[in-house]
Amino acid sequence: MDYQFQWRPVIQALPQLLEASLVTLQVSVLSMGLGLLMGLVLYFIRKSPILPLRAFATTWIEVARNTPSLFQIFIFYWGLGEFGIFLSPYVSVVAALSFNCAGYMAETYRGGFAAVPKGQNMAARTLGMTAWQSLRYVELPQVLRAIYHPMTNQFTWIILASSLGMLAGLRELSGETQYFNSRTFRTFEFFMAAAVIYYVITKIALLVLKAIGWNLFKAERAAK
Amino acid sequence: MSKLRTFSFLAPAILAASLAAAPAYADKLDDVLNSGTLRCAVVLDFPPMGYTDANNEPAGMDVDICKDLAERMGVEAEIVGVTWAERIPSLISGRSDVAIASSSDSLERAKTVGFSIPYMVFQFQALLPADSTVTSWDELKDLNVGVAIGTTYESELQAYKDANWTDSSGEITTFQSENDTYLAVSQGRVAAGIATDTAIANIVAADTYQNIKAGPVAPFGADIVGFMTVRNEYGWLNFLNLYINRAYRDGTLQDLYGKHIGGTMPDLTTAGVYY
Repeated sequence: MDYQFQWRPVIQALPQLLEASLVTLQVSVLSMGLGLLMGLVLYFIRKSPILPLRAFATTWIEVARNTPSLFQIFIFYWGLGEFGIFLSPYVSVVAALSFNCAGYMAETYRGGFAAVPKGQNMAARTLGMTAWQSLRYVELPQVLRAIYHPMTNQFTWIILASSLGMLAGLRELSGETQYFNSRTFRTFEFFMAAAVIYYVITKIALLVLKAIGWNLFKAERAAK
Repeated sequence: MSKLRTFSFLAPAILAASLAAAPAYADKLDDVLNSGTLRCAVVLDFPPMGYTDANNEPAGMDVDICKDLAERMGVEAEIVGVTWAERIPSLISGRSDVAIASSSDSLERAKTVGFSIPYMVFQFQALLPADSTVTSWDELKDLNVGVAIGTTYESELQAYKDANWTDSSGEITTFQSENDTYLAVSQGRVAAGIATDTAIANIVAADTYQNIKAGPVAPFGADIVGFMTVRNEYGWLNFLNLYINRAYRDGTLQDLYGKHIGGTMPDLTTAGVYY
């Protein structure tokens, strides 16, 4: 390969790339938060005795898990646009990623709840706890522990999937990289730099989540 | 020291030997002639310059120029379909020998790639929804204008806005491709899109979108494009330059322009300056 690497254009663009990384991180955290909440709601709705609700949740989970995220982003951005609903790139991407995340998390919650023995709920109710108290103080803490690691995986996935946002015109890290690439034609340098930044962001996010987990599950470790 | 002197008589011999041993440098032009195939990187979603026809074969002015160049070199033409972003990686990784891909010759890009002399000139123009009331360029000032990211017209539009529309309440929305820009205009997501005059004439004539029309031409000058190749391939660039010169002189470029765009080929020279 007859190519001289020039890193100066990348270094000059570094402030903008880092700023765009913040957008990536923002979008990811927001989508993850919304996805966690909606996923829990979906999990309960899916167990609902009311058929339409159940069908709604099942459809959501099936579509979210079995279609490409790229397609989901396009639907929120261009698909809704066909009906005159114009979401900004930022909103479209957050909506699509949380939609996707909720679908996956609903399944993860199912696994988490399945890991809590039925007797726990019964025991809690026998002790006079309401259904809500049993959920809040007995089951959810155990579910959280069970789903914590799958959840961190999901978060990594969201950070990386947010790069699809550039296809809806979002100037997150990939979009910004593409912008500088087409201005300077320093393709290899810019994409390598972006890959390194993604790696660092993901590693830091995982470390932070690990630290949080370490603190959250102190009691369990002590009991062992 | 004495040892060094002992062997110093060998120095001219070593020099001569190393010169003789140095491999003859085969440049890109040799490579193409020897391989018998000219591989051109062409962007195939930029009609009428490059696209795929009804039989899914590459077609367009850039494609025909590649074929003409290959014919004159006595080799086979091979079209390598690329996106805007893949043009340079395609050249550098050796997948193509030349990019004939309507590439604007900015100095920023010339820091990385080698440009030929111009072979085509575009104008920038606004694409409007059919019901738009915009008739002059400066009416775009406070509107949401869409443009494909990383294109020359994107940076030109931004620069023009910064210089002339300082109190603008409008915004510039960037899209990943030309097609996204057209779609956004047709949906009404943006009040106008910017693209090249040839592309706009093409998309307005095609029946993909019913509700769009051509708008005012941008005041920021012509978009002059050249072939691109690896920066240090001087011999190859010289050959390409001569080809463009001859293809213009003998009317080939005019014929292709008439076939794909219609009308008279724009002047490729810049008045008052040597290239």
